[in-house]
Amino acid sequence: MRSEAGRFVTAARQALTDTPLQDAVKRATDTAARKRDLAMFADGRDHGEALRQQAAAARHRALSQLPALLEQAEERLTANGATVLWATDDAEVCRHVQAIAARHNVQRVTKSKSMISEEVGLNDALIAAGIDVLETDLGEFIIQLAEEPPSHIVTPVIHKSKDAIRDLFVEKLGMPPTDDAQTMARFAREHLRAAFLSAEMGISGGNFIIAETGTLCLVTNEGNGRMVTTLPRVHVALVGIEKVVATLEDYALLTQVLPRSATGQALAVYTHMINGPRRPGENDGPEALYVILVDNGRSAIYETEYAEVLGCIRCGACMNACPIYEATGGHAYGWVYPGPIGAVITPLLTDLKEASPLPHASSLCGKCREVCPVDIDLPRMLLDLRRDLVNAGHTPPPWTVGIRAWSAVARSPRAFNAAARAAHIAQHALPQGRKLPLGPLGGWTASRNLPKVAAQPFRAWWAAREKARDRDEQS
Amino acid sequence: MDFPPRPSPIDQPVALYVTCLVDYLSPEVGIAVVRLLEHLGITVTFPAAQTCCGQPAYNGGYQHEARPLAERFLDVFHDAPVIVCPSGSCTTMIRHEYPRLFANDPARAEQARAIAARTWEFTEYLVDGLGRTDLGLRLRAPQTFALHDSCHGLRHLGLGRQARALLGAVENATVVPLEDHDECCGFGGLFSVKMPDLSAALLSKKIAHIRAGEAPTIVTGDVSCMMHMNGGLARQGASQRVRHIAAVLADGLPEGMRHA
Amino acid sequence: MSSRDAILRKLRAAQTPFADAPPPDPHLPVVPLDTGNRAALIERFIAQAEALSSAIHRCASPDEAHAAILRVIAPDERVLCWDFAHIPLPGLDAALDRAGIAVAPPGDASARVGITGADAALAATGSLVISSGPGKARQVSLLPLVHIAVVRVDQIVPHMEAWIAALRAAGTDAFAAASSTVIVSGPSRTADIAMELILGMHGPGALHIVLLDSEAQP
Repeated sequence: MRSEAGRFVTAARQALTDTPLQDAVKRATDTAARKRDLAMFADGRDHGEALRQQAAAARHRALSQLPALLEQAEERLTANGATVLWATDDAEVCRHVQAIAARHNVQRVTKSKSMISEEVGLNDALIAAGIDVLETDLGEFIIQLAEEPPSHIVTPVIHKSKDAIRDLFVEKLGMPPTDDAQTMARFAREHLRAAFLSAEMGISGGNFIIAETGTLCLVTNEGNGRMVTTLPRVHVALVGIEKVVATLEDYALLTQVLPRSATGQALAVYTHMINGPRRPGENDGPEALYVILVDNGRSAIYETEYAEVLGCIRCGACMNACPIYEATGGHAYGWVYPGPIGAVITPLLTDLKEASPLPHASSLCGKCREVCPVDIDLPRMLLDLRRDLVNAGHTPPPWTVGIRAWSAVARSPRAFNAAARAAHIAQHALPQGRKLPLGPLGGWTASRNLPKVAAQPFRAWWAAREKARDRDEQS
Repeated sequence: MDFPPRPSPIDQPVALYVTCLVDYLSPEVGIAVVRLLEHLGITVTFPAAQTCCGQPAYNGGYQHEARPLAERFLDVFHDAPVIVCPSGSCTTMIRHEYPRLFANDPARAEQARAIAARTWEFTEYLVDGLGRTDLGLRLRAPQTFALHDSCHGLRHLGLGRQARALLGAVENATVVPLEDHDECCGFGGLFSVKMPDLSAALLSKKIAHIRAGEAPTIVTGDVSCMMHMNGGLARQGASQRVRHIAAVLADGLPEGMRHA
Repeated sequence: MSSRDAILRKLRAAQTPFADAPPPDPHLPVVPLDTGNRAALIERFIAQAEALSSAIHRCASPDEAHAAILRVIAPDERVLCWDFAHIPLPGLDAALDRAGIAVAPPGDASARVGITGADAALAATGSLVISSGPGKARQVSLLPLVHIAVVRVDQIVPHMEAWIAALRAAGTDAFAAASSTVIVSGPSRTADIAMELILGMHGPGALHIVLLDSEAQP
């Protein structure tokens, strides 16, 4: 998917005036955040914090052993009857899937949710090859109908109200109008059932791969993940190389922390462990299972100080907590991953310069790290990305000139004092209470009054007091 | 939260790091800190060579431009046994970011770590450092307050408990909750002028909560948040105002101390 | 060089992140429970399952279990069903036969009800562990609108960690031999339409757990 992250400021401004969007996003994120808090700390604050630390440790362990675990996963998956393929970039993922589809005479594909498939533009590549692709996760199905990208990594359609979804179903699928969500969901179920049963290939993502047993793990609630990995004769799973975990125990911890953190559930409805294609004597299951291990920029991140971000388990808690995400919704971030995690990995996986607004789209309040189930220091990374932008010369020259001038003045108490005195005098000429055409200060004064420089700075009060005391001592 | 053990500041003189925002925008906060510490019998010094900690540049990614300011801080305060600072964000900068800023300069990094161990935010100095919550303060008339938790102090330094304890011990002070008290006010330093629409959107939510609450005075530990919220409250013609915890506490000093 | 080799080489050439990281504690269960108190575990299983909108039918005898199952099936005359050898309920085949209910051939997507057993039940979360195999088709617990799962009380284990400990004791090869194992926690659901919780999305909309609390062995 092409990144539009460079348009963040404009997109955010538009989002701020979109009241239905504001209401929908706030309701969704408030609900999710509340549920997360209840679930993570159901057995006490200390226990919940211990779970976070243990989950972080499990991800750290996996990252520290990543190449060895990938080889072990490949060996075990292959022994279990899966075919393991590797893809360095988006084009290679698409080539692999197209080749598999051709080999197995695939005409229809059903998909359960895969963020990687969005990264690499897989749907478009399959459609170009003349293959029908149907999203089956209800949220993904809705945005496919609406021809929009997802706006949240767990609940992709939080930006749409129920009315908007109803209108979409009525217009595109001929659904009899109804305001009952259950009826709408039942309609979608019927509509997708035929596709589930007739598709030759199912494509899924992968939440985890357990290296020691060669197990592909999916976490879903709707059942579509089980459908697309059971009914078609071919199953293709796209999994980021960072998703490997070492042991069954690590997996048990993470597959319970993920739903708690994402939706407030103790376990997802279907915690699905796939150990291979259909075995002799079985009546269902795919005849062929392909697992594509996808790099697409992850190994490049692994080589840097940002490697920690590869520990992300895609729970969405950070965006549910983020005041910026609440204000803009997900589309403003311009790519597959929104919110704090998106602000960090979009520049790293796509292009730093093009995504330059994203690391600045934060007041550094720190809530993201506070809620991250694997304790990723996202605020740290936003700061470091800002540094990277400056070092690469990707900041607008007026800012650089301004900061340099400010720094030169600020390091001298005398110069700083003189500048403050000048500001104190100049401010009398500034009208309060309205927007001033003063460059960056124009943005401030659009909705805020400027603070006043004090008549007597603290240092002057102190100096005067010291002088008076010296005089008193001498007299 | 993981901090290295810090030497007790009890019986030590205090070097005040007043911060540039207090120095030039809200000197009453610095004056309040001095009065309160002297009320407790503590000797306070003010190294006049101090300037900005460099946070605005650093947070914008301009680490090179922040470095001379950080070096200046290390030099000015190198032999201060205790440094007290009335700002959660500046204290975070000094304690958490200075060691990182000098990561490839071992001598400076060591200085930074040593100074970090001696730098206290104002409320944590009183409550955790000195072990004091009741400073014998009494407001002349009953007042109602609510606390806004500034982000850096809350999430990097674990602040909040201390300010509540201090304010709760002041006679005639009533503390009521503020809805979403730990939500960001939207300042974020340069964020407020780089992305002013977003900053204003967050501020507007904060102000709505303030205006819907019972407290006419909101109390916070950071002048940056304070001036941001006051800027919005004044523009909206609201009656509520935000004050720094030190200034509110100093209002409770005995008459003589308040004007020494 | 293949993509595989290029990727692995790149990862190996990098400075290892978290090289000194201590390993996680495998013994911290996510849900802390008193694993010795059987009665409490059973009650916990029932309460958690019901909180997920699963229906629990606690039966003291196979006859009671047959009756409960037939009530759920009525008025249908066809069901999907695992091989009876894998369902821990003696006499089920005869009971269905007597009631005139036929077992549909595997792959029959029109049956409203599917009947399975389970490998284990997790008390902590009210969940069922269901693996696939010959005679234990995946579809039976997936396609129909109604899923009936028969579980013996002695199959209840405290939590996922306990289940995995047992797996490990038996050797993980047995686990890997099953092409699919799913831990089912309630009927399928979605909240994608304006955060409204809806049961019965693509998987079953109703989960009936027949909890057999008797000494009879199949």
